[in-house]
Amino acid sequence: MKIIIFYFIIFLNLSSSYAAKKNIDQNQIYKNLRCLVCQGQSISDSNSDFAQTIKLVVKDLIKQGKSEKQIYTFMADKYGDWIVYKPQLNKQNFILWVLPYVILLGGGLVIFSIIRKKRKKF
Amino acid sequence: MLSNLGNILLFINVFLSVLIIYFASQNIKTSGNSISETIYQTTLLQTTLIFGCFFTLVAAFITSDFSLINVFENSHTSKPLLYKISGSWGNHEGSLMLWVIILTIFSFFFLINNKTHPKNYRLFTLIFQNIIILGFLSFILFNSNPFTLISPAPKEGLGLNPILQDPALAIHPPLLYIGFVGSSIYFSAAMASLITNYSEKFFAKSIKNWVLISWVFQTLGILVGSIWAYYELGWGGFWFWDPVENASLLPWFAMTALFHSLIVLEKRNVLYFWVIILCLLTFVLSVTGTFLVRSGILNSVHTFANDPNRGIYMLSFLCLMIFSSLFLLFKKYRKNNYNINFNSKETYVLINNWFMLFYLLTVLIGTLYPIFTDALTENKISVGPPFYNTVIIPVVVIFLFFMAIGPNVKWIKNKFDNLISLIIIFILALIINFIIVYFFKSFTILSNLIIISSLFLIISSLIDLKKSLEKSKFDLARIISHLSFGFLILFIGLNHNFSLEEDFNMKVGDTKSFNNYEIKFKKLEVKNFKNYKSLIGDLEIKDKKMSQIKTLNPEIRIYESPSTLTYEAAIKTNIIKDYYLTMSNIDRSDFYNIKFQKKPMMFWIWVSCMVLAIGGFLRVFQNAKSN
Repeated sequence: MKIIIFYFIIFLNLSSSYAAKKNIDQNQIYKNLRCLVCQGQSISDSNSDFAQTIKLVVKDLIKQGKSEKQIYTFMADKYGDWIVYKPQLNKQNFILWVLPYVILLGGGLVIFSIIRKKRKKF
Repeated sequence: MLSNLGNILLFINVFLSVLIIYFASQNIKTSGNSISETIYQTTLLQTTLIFGCFFTLVAAFITSDFSLINVFENSHTSKPLLYKISGSWGNHEGSLMLWVIILTIFSFFFLINNKTHPKNYRLFTLIFQNIIILGFLSFILFNSNPFTLISPAPKEGLGLNPILQDPALAIHPPLLYIGFVGSSIYFSAAMASLITNYSEKFFAKSIKNWVLISWVFQTLGILVGSIWAYYELGWGGFWFWDPVENASLLPWFAMTALFHSLIVLEKRNVLYFWVIILCLLTFVLSVTGTFLVRSGILNSVHTFANDPNRGIYMLSFLCLMIFSSLFLLFKKYRKNNYNINFNSKETYVLINNWFMLFYLLTVLIGTLYPIFTDALTENKISVGPPFYNTVIIPVVVIFLFFMAIGPNVKWIKNKFDNLISLIIIFILALIINFIIVYFFKSFTILSNLIIISSLFLIISSLIDLKKSLEKSKFDLARIISHLSFGFLILFIGLNHNFSLEEDFNMKVGDTKSFNNYEIKFKKLEVKNFKNYKSLIGDLEIKDKKMSQIKTLNPEIRIYESPSTLTYEAAIKTNIIKDYYLTMSNIDRSDFYNIKFQKKPMMFWIWVSCMVLAIGGFLRVFQNAKSN
């Protein structure tokens, strides 16, 4: 059980280091922005004028040397949080990001307790 | 005329459901273990008439009877026959007819197929199932009646959205609904089992095939939906974590957890209440999903026209279901002894359930969270693919290892005697992973882990396959499903990792070069078809390494009824990769936006998902044979 938790923490770290890639992939950014005038499509998939404009803005921001994260913050400030597909980790979204892991650990504890109860008997 | 016939049949069906509930409750009081002939006959009549009702609607669509609002809004005389038929369930009202049909068929077959089980358990199942049928019938009659008239009758219909005119999408709803709605029967059975205290392993026996059948269809329904999204929506992906996709995935997780723990209930007679909870949960999630989609609460590509009354009706029905099932559950709950050893197959099944519930709840939280932030803070947020990928994928890695080890662990008590072979398999997986990475030179840590863990599952399943063939003791269903799940994750991993995407603004005659490819815009044609006009591009893609040339013809289609533009992707599929090309016009210029994608292993993703479902079918046949 402890091993599982240990691995889990490692994977958490890995996944966050995975997110912090060095060179910026503009396609990746397009995919993570919502096309506000479409129904459930990203900037990358949409043919709308809005999507074309946002693409140009993103290219411009990359040229200015902004990081991926800065670009998302810029977009969220300008158009609202609705535009970014990856919710930012802030006070409001804290539960969203943390609850799944709490459930994962909680579920593990439940199974562990079921099995331990049985052990004590013998 | 058809409208009257349909309405009459609906009313008769309401009457029959009430009658069945009455007969069944009378029959419960009698002694003896046989169900009266009248009940069989009434359910048979009910099934026949609901089919009649459905075919009346289909007939209205085929004959383009525009005096029905539903036909007027969703059909057109120039539509091909197949889409006239599929149009009958491609809308809210018609799809509810499909709901009721499946509810009724499952009710009928469950009744006639479980003759060895106690009478009262079967009768209570029938009663609960008919209460659900009544709920949906009255929803149809009072809120979403497909037979409502319009007067005067229009000459021509409005037509079906062109992107829905597609063979995959014609069969997608029926497949998915057999999964979704099929779960109602074990909801009813679970309620009946609680009331009649039928908690033995025989309860598990009576529902396991129903769970598997609904799981198989749910899997196929999701698969067909993904295939459609891949070639029709033109973005080159097959899963977007869209709320509606999530709604189909939630019951899938619950079903998967359920049929695994049913094995434990059948073999060891433990986990009864957990199985009941999963039975109830699956159908509740199915209805919740439908509610979220139909009420228009969630923003999605699939949204039908919305109506707030619909949402309120479904929400009340949902609450009633949840409260009555919770009430019964708490009333009947008694503490039971688990008696499970740390190192045993039971533990591994619990681990499966643990992960399944983690996926389920994560997806549920991600889907519902935006509703809460919107209601509480008026700040709309989007929870999209990046959220699910970061939270779920690392956990899948661990899950795959358990999935590989679990099936070979013995019941009750196991010894670790195969540790060495596990280490060998792990090393093998590592080596293959590094070969892949060495040749393709692109990787992230996480994708390496996904490839290693899926290879671990694949290799151990292959070894199992070899062993079971030698011993001629077949557990083929499990091995096939686990193996293909391993392949599914592997191919998705490879696809994600080695996809290539480039887009250009090009004019006819332009040539662009990138990586190892050269793309040439040769010409553009305009063609007229029966119900649309089409701009067809002629593009050539040259693979410089292999000196292969492929021609692709993406289209822009202009439909008249209803008037829409659709973009048709051109896809060249071969065994190892797909070329995926879309073309879109740029306003006020001769330039076209050309988007090229290379998608490796697409074909194999579909195949593995298909085989996963076949594994489920095999198990159904094995079970039927052993009975």
